Amino acid sequence: MTDPTELQTKLEFLCDTYAAQLPEKLKHIEQVWEQLPQDSWDEEGFQTLHHMVHSLTGSGKTFGFALLSDVARNLEEHLNQIAQEKTALSEDQRQYIHKLMSELNKAACYREALLSEQASLVVGVPPNPDALIPRRIFVLEDDSEQAEELKVQLGYFGYEVTVFNTLADFRSVMQRTSDVVILTDIAFPDNSLGGIEVIKEIQQGRETPFPVIFISAHNEFVIRLEAARAGGIAYLSKPVNIGKLIDKLDSVASTLTTLPYRVMIVDDSVDTTTYYSEVLEQARMVTKAVHNPLNVIKALLEFAPDLILIDLYMPKCNGMDLAKVIRQLDAFVSIPIVFLSAEIDLDKQLVAMSLGGDDFLAKPILPQHLISSVNSRIRRSLILRSLVLRDSLTGLFNHTAIKDELDREVARSKRYGTPLAFAMIDIDHFKQINDTYGHPIGDRVIKSLARLLKQRLRASDLVGRYGGEEFAVILVNADRAAALQVLDAIRQDFSQLRHLSDGKEFTVTFSCGIADVSQFRDATKLIEASDKVLYNAKHAGRNQVAVSDAPVWEAAGFI
Amino acid sequence: MTDKLTRILYVEDEPDIQMVARLALEALGGYTVEICSSGDEALQRAPGFQPQLFLLDVMMPGMDGPSTLKLLRALPQFAHTPVIFMTAKIQPGEVAGYKELGVVDVIPKPFDPMLLASKVQDIWERYHD
Repeated sequence: MTDPTELQTKLEFLCDTYAAQLPEKLKHIEQVWEQLPQDSWDEEGFQTLHHMVHSLTGSGKTFGFALLSDVARNLEEHLNQIAQEKTALSEDQRQYIHKLMSELNKAACYREALLSEQASLVVGVPPNPDALIPRRIFVLEDDSEQAEELKVQLGYFGYEVTVFNTLADFRSVMQRTSDVVILTDIAFPDNSLGGIEVIKEIQQGRETPFPVIFISAHNEFVIRLEAARAGGIAYLSKPVNIGKLIDKLDSVASTLTTLPYRVMIVDDSVDTTTYYSEVLEQARMVTKAVHNPLNVIKALLEFAPDLILIDLYMPKCNGMDLAKVIRQLDAFVSIPIVFLSAEIDLDKQLVAMSLGGDDFLAKPILPQHLISSVNSRIRRSLILRSLVLRDSLTGLFNHTAIKDELDREVARSKRYGTPLAFAMIDIDHFKQINDTYGHPIGDRVIKSLARLLKQRLRASDLVGRYGGEEFAVILVNADRAAALQVLDAIRQDFSQLRHLSDGKEFTVTFSCGIADVSQFRDATKLIEASDKVLYNAKHAGRNQVAVSDAPVWEAAGFI
Repeated sequence: MTDKLTRILYVEDEPDIQMVARLALEALGGYTVEICSSGDEALQRAPGFQPQLFLLDVMMPGMDGPSTLKLLRALPQFAHTPVIFMTAKIQPGEVAGYKELGVVDVIPKPFDPMLLASKVQDIWERYHD
């Protein structure tokens, strides 16, 4: 048998090759799709398209593109349905395929680490809603000058850094430490792989490994591989690109601070749903049981789950039919569906998957297995959703997404009579920053404000990048007075942040305008109003938060 | 006593899948693997290679997996050689059809390269139980 390191190298090479050919394949698929006639049925062209998509379904995951396989399968099934009709596509069908194609392109950007076992250990940790963002960082680096430099730089981004220069110091402190991100060099004077060895040592026996980022002057594959085996989530070459490092730290933070996953369980047996609910809730998920499949759609819309667990055989409607129905709803096209059943026949399992299920779990299932399958499915689908909805620079909602969220939240606030505030934020004199320090520094300023907003607002608040240097914030269950208090505190802190460019420090401020649903009961009007107040704040000298003085809507009629 | 599985013939039209499957089956499983890019090629090369097991992709241009299987069965020395389909094509009617053709199992695609060899081994052992 081959040496595992060599096997890994070869496998990685094949995956790289596949990855390199992927853009070409996707472009080809798009071309074939665009060349299909609009007003008639082209059997041959359609078959070609189907075959190409099918080939992605069957290969993506093998080469580390699991998400691509999922999305391709979804698209393929849709193509299959259309192929049965053999008529020119309707406008709806075209749009829908178009949407799935753009998902496909996004999914192709997402490649899972080849050493997925290790990677998922870190990322697959059940999210803890109470977890604070890990702002504490331990830097293990024998070169004290480099270490100090890192400490200063990370300090600007609000991280609290402790430096260790020797393996021994680090080792002794780690015995009584938890919740810290570790940044470590690999080579030490007394041991050329000391950084890796000490990490392996401290990770041993830990249920939740520490997030570790390796930094090294060496770039050999073998060392990288060792680093990955030790549970490293990233490997950065020296000199460290601070922007990249911050990105990695942010991604650690975002995986640890997501809201609890929501799982809907559809099963006619109350005993079964109770059992699964308990198992999943112990892993900090929120669950909802539905016993009558006919109520599923209503429950779906209200509960908005991240994943649906369905019993395959139920008296009134079988799980497979139910999956088909769910997949026909636009809002739930990409929600993961997992079947649960005592079925152990592979044929039936495969059939279930072909009908829109994403996974199949045989009953009885071990609690640990259930938790990990559900976790990894949800994680992957959230990544896809975030690729589609998020701004790539900041990871915040993009323009369209935050507007959609506002529509939804305004509707919810009206339904339940809960308060809701909306704020527009704009960085002051941003053009000057770009002109003086260059765009990369400008981008870093934008990211630092994005991060500050995410850190300081509640997990339930929604933050979007509305335009270039403009941000939008939806504060749920808060009126304009509460929003003012929170955002003004953030404004003060932001103005104190010291940004760095070529050794020169500078500070930046923002202005903000706020309105709430007691004044404007419509998303468009809320945006207009807060934009207008933002303008007033700018006009009054910037670096301030202003609140709309519009009268409370229909107050007389209700009180 | 079950014969030890050593020789596998795999029919697959996609070069990238061919390579990763070869790596997975040879390096991890220790099998000797012959790879053919089409059903025709498989029919020509099978008699010389004498495989103990066939892995067939289902959806291939030209002769597909089921047709290849039929022609292989027509050769006396392969009338009873176990065949596994490897496919992402798992529509209801199709799966039932595969079994009627007499394949011993179906390995769904996309497969995990790290687990492919052990999956094949499991199927082989179960088949000989």
